[in-house]
Amino acid sequence: MSTPTFTAATLPSNDNVNPYAFSVDLNGRWFAQKGKMIAYYGRIRFEALSAGPLDALVAASFHSPLYAQDWIVAEGQGKLLLADRGFDVNSFDLDEGNLTIRAGNLLAFEPGLELKQSIIPGFLTLIGTGRFVAASNGPVHFVEPPIRVDPQALLGWADCPSPCHHYDHSYMRGVLGAARMVFGVGGTSGEEHQFDFTGEGTVLMQSSEAVMSDDVMLRDLEGQIGMVGTSGLQRLQQSISQRLSAERQ
Amino acid sequence: MAQFRLNGSKMLAVDLAGETIKALNGAMVAYDGQMSFKRQGMTGGEGLRGALKRRIAGEGMTLMEVSGQGTVFLASEATEVTLVRLNGDTLFVESESLLALDAGLRTGVHFVGLRGMGTGQGLATTKVEGSGTAAIVSDGPAIALEVSPSEPLCVDPHAYVGHLGQLQQDVVTDVNWRTVLGQGSGESVQFRYQGHGLVYVQPAERGGILEI
Repeated sequence: MSTPTFTAATLPSNDNVNPYAFSVDLNGRWFAQKGKMIAYYGRIRFEALSAGPLDALVAASFHSPLYAQDWIVAEGQGKLLLADRGFDVNSFDLDEGNLTIRAGNLLAFEPGLELKQSIIPGFLTLIGTGRFVAASNGPVHFVEPPIRVDPQALLGWADCPSPCHHYDHSYMRGVLGAARMVFGVGGTSGEEHQFDFTGEGTVLMQSSEAVMSDDVMLRDLEGQIGMVGTSGLQRLQQSISQRLSAERQ
Repeated sequence: MAQFRLNGSKMLAVDLAGETIKALNGAMVAYDGQMSFKRQGMTGGEGLRGALKRRIAGEGMTLMEVSGQGTVFLASEATEVTLVRLNGDTLFVESESLLALDAGLRTGVHFVGLRGMGTGQGLATTKVEGSGTAAIVSDGPAIALEVSPSEPLCVDPHAYVGHLGQLQQDVVTDVNWRTVLGQGSGESVQFRYQGHGLVYVQPAERGGILEI
């Protein structure tokens, strides 16, 4: 067995090179997450979203100031190879559809799609027609609601209503449960919180619980602070200092 | 000639009939037959001058000599193994990506200058010359990309594994005021290859010293 060899002509066009790398046949512009390009043939430029000439494109397709610094636009002609930490990479087509996906797992998308922030922190929603590329740790599984999934194993969902949180009842019961509610400590199985999906649609799961360790969640929380009033801020400050002093012990 | 073959994508099997090969120190996971493992001396078979160069370059590499009759299995941290056959060519590869090589292959240090800075690669890379088979490892299966004069190739330094053939390597930078402000494209530094040859890339990115 030898390593497959590719040239610009023999690289697949908008398809996987192997399960871990995707080749985009670029002719125009694609949005891509920063740092996921591994190689390219041809004339391709990478621009930050703040670049002047991209204003119209960004205004039309990218509606998430929170994630703008993580994204770039690849512009030009050629073959562009994308990969992410050796994760499985897959492409999906949307046809006048919508799909919500974990922000760290979305690698690239065509400008035919519009990107918006989901109500669920750390997730992004794509709306419209076009192709996008996403990474998952292990192959993707498609399941249908009703289903409860582990938050870390959830990749995204399409067509169905946004999930709600589900907590096991025993989590809140008894002395230990009360202690958990106040201090957030105590022995748990680690599986008392799930996302609950109902309705028609498809839920995408990855086959592990490894998620990109980044500060997306934190930035999301920070972004929501703007919606909190003065009294709310004081309460937040209180609970944060309470947690901090509990951590120090 | 020692027979190099893959046993699955993450393990290298080498059939030996009295020959000697060089392999990454500690990479043996199993063997059958009679084998002896000998750590290479201080100079690693590169002579005193070569060892000195390697020390200065910080391109550390510890190889062992494996010889005997039978089959030896080699692997390194479940990374993917790629076999590269050399016919008088030169393979440039990071020392940590080298798993095993035929005894007939010579290794040396090649200074690359400043281009290694900021990519976590240091100032030098390892050069493998001669005829025989070399086994390199990568994080995820390596992809070989061909370069011809009409089709130059650009590669992210973090995904670069090695290259082979008559290639000219330069650094393309696209650093502007946005990069300085932290608003850069994240792909501001690339290696560009021109000429005739093959470049191996991996579908994962090493962390660099500098994030540019």
